[in-house]
Amino acid sequence: MIEIKNLHANVNGKEILKGINLKVNAGEVHAIMGPNGSGKSTLAQVLSGHPAYQVTQGEVLFEGQDLLDMEPEERAHAGVFLAFQYPVEIPGVSNSYFLKAGLNEIRKSRGQEELDSFQFLKLLKEKMKVVEMDQSFINRPVNEGFSGGEKKRNEILQMAVLEPKLAILDETDSGLDIDALKIVSSGVNKLKSPSNATIVVTHYQRLLNYIVPDFVHVLVHGRIVKSGGKELALELEANGYDFIREEMLQSA
Amino acid sequence: MSVEMNHYTNEFQTFQQNGAAKSPDWVNDVRTAALSVFTGKGFPTTKQEDWKYTNVTPIARAPFRYSASAPAVPAELVTSLLIGDTEQHLIVFVNGHFSAEHSRLQSLPAGLTVKNLIAAYGSHADLIKAHLSKYAPYDKNPFTALNTAFINDGAFIHAAKGTKSSLPVHLLFISTAAGDAPAASHIRNLIIAEEGAEVRIAHSFASAQDNTNLTNVVTEVSAGRESIVELVKVQRESEKAFHVEHLHVHQEPRSTSRVFSLAVGGAIARNEMSVIIGGETTECNLNGLYITSGEQLIDHHTFMHHIHPECPSHELFKGILMDKSRAVFNGKVYVEPEAQKTDSKQTNRNLLLSDEAVVDTKPELEIFADDVKCTHGAAVGGMNETHSFYLKTRGISEGSARGILTVGFAAEVTQKIDDPVLRRFVDTIVVDHLRRKFGTGNLPEIVHA
Repeated sequence: MIEIKNLHANVNGKEILKGINLKVNAGEVHAIMGPNGSGKSTLAQVLSGHPAYQVTQGEVLFEGQDLLDMEPEERAHAGVFLAFQYPVEIPGVSNSYFLKAGLNEIRKSRGQEELDSFQFLKLLKEKMKVVEMDQSFINRPVNEGFSGGEKKRNEILQMAVLEPKLAILDETDSGLDIDALKIVSSGVNKLKSPSNATIVVTHYQRLLNYIVPDFVHVLVHGRIVKSGGKELALELEANGYDFIREEMLQSA
Repeated sequence: MSVEMNHYTNEFQTFQQNGAAKSPDWVNDVRTAALSVFTGKGFPTTKQEDWKYTNVTPIARAPFRYSASAPAVPAELVTSLLIGDTEQHLIVFVNGHFSAEHSRLQSLPAGLTVKNLIAAYGSHADLIKAHLSKYAPYDKNPFTALNTAFINDGAFIHAAKGTKSSLPVHLLFISTAAGDAPAASHIRNLIIAEEGAEVRIAHSFASAQDNTNLTNVVTEVSAGRESIVELVKVQRESEKAFHVEHLHVHQEPRSTSRVFSLAVGGAIARNEMSVIIGGETTECNLNGLYITSGEQLIDHHTFMHHIHPECPSHELFKGILMDKSRAVFNGKVYVEPEAQKTDSKQTNRNLLLSDEAVVDTKPELEIFADDVKCTHGAAVGGMNETHSFYLKTRGISEGSARGILTVGFAAEVTQKIDDPVLRRFVDTIVVDHLRRKFGTGNLPEIVHA
């Protein structure tokens, strides 16, 4: 589904990603783990097209298309979704307006008919059940005054409504208590299908107890230094990131 | 004497012959004194610090005429400007003249008086004498002097002790073309809330056509002990019109004022809003939103005068600027030596949607007490890139994201309006206005948390 080849990216002239290679197929869940400052979130932002990052080398193919050549909204139309670590608050604009605007632009780009308010509301209510969200959130301003858990749940609601092919979850577990973590993970798991894929970016193994990855990649200093199965996450949990650094030193 | 001052001296003579006689003699003395202040000072120039960024030469040059009577305006126009179809407390003025035909004042609650000033001289002579021209000094501001020289009619509101009005009172001022010369309306309002009274007021200004009128208003508000006064101004006159208002709020101890200014109209519009916090634990909230486009200039000058201890004041003004328009925000906070424990916060944020728009923002803090919390901040910038990125990752196009975030930017300040009916009124006008300016119906209605 997505193939990342030798991806280099800068922010404010500083190189953060130094040659990422990664291939994700439909039906797979990949976890990207790594210490703070390793470039995990940068990778997530670059894949979604944040304008603050400049790609200096490499390419990213999404279903055969050049992803890096697309605007952020075009990537969304193509089926890429980013769940934000820090979702943005938009006062005055209702959750339902926001989501309907996004969904209808995606549908329009695919030549599908736009949903009217009635059809959309029906869909939204179904999806709210998936993430166990109260219907009072329909008409509340986007993320304004939401708790940390409510914001993350709202991200997964958006994912449920927009039905992306590739979902990138950026530190979705940060700031969540265990109950919220379970609800959010269960929402992600319910949305999983053989035709979509998920990249989970996380610092801690904790989330991976609930969203079980097929592959785990360890990112250090802008490079993937180790890849493995879900057991790699447990190893990291037990030994910390230091053992990877030591391995790197020994092999150097 | 300059050509302009000659014009106003002649105007004053005409005015005295065919309008001024409707008010008591003492008012005429005030008028005459104010006229000599005005003709002595003349219109302000950009050499004066208070008018540095607002050049009123186009107002000074135009031969505005006092209109002796109100031309007719259609009922449909009035209806289109109402808060709601079933509006109950409405007083309408056309070019400064009371319109009994369009007003609805039959179902006022006991204790609440709403009438035009000329009629109120008959019923509330002593009260008017005690308050009129007591809060708005005409020796400092030439427009106030000009207004005072031409004091004729305007709205009079009196809320007796303990009166609570659940529905807002709508003061609607319509300007319309009158003959060949551009018309001037010098509107004078007096609002008195006695002890413990609660009143909510929509204070709105509109034009009947795309006319070049001058609307020069002075509004004096006296908020008695423990009273609550919410005044929401909506200025949506023609973009060829000139609008000046000096609003003075005088607060007694433990009163609360909530003043909001929405300004979207006028070629040149100047709002001066002064609050005298004249008693302990008195609260003042002064907020506003201006939206400018084309070559409009909208200027807000605010003045918070902290005289007594332990008074909070909150001030948030936001601006949305398009095209080659300009805006000015000058927020003065003056804390007297006795006003210890003052808690004052002032913020001005501007969203520039065009490279050619200009905003001049200036906080002015003068603090003479040592145990106070006074903060201020001003920001000028374009669309927030991170916010815009968030929307785009949901498939929303650049254009729609811009619209949605602009509405969100506005909503952050309209949510400060306390009364839900007035808040809805302002929200609807804001979104309609932005829809016209953005040329799309595709903008969200505002909802609040």
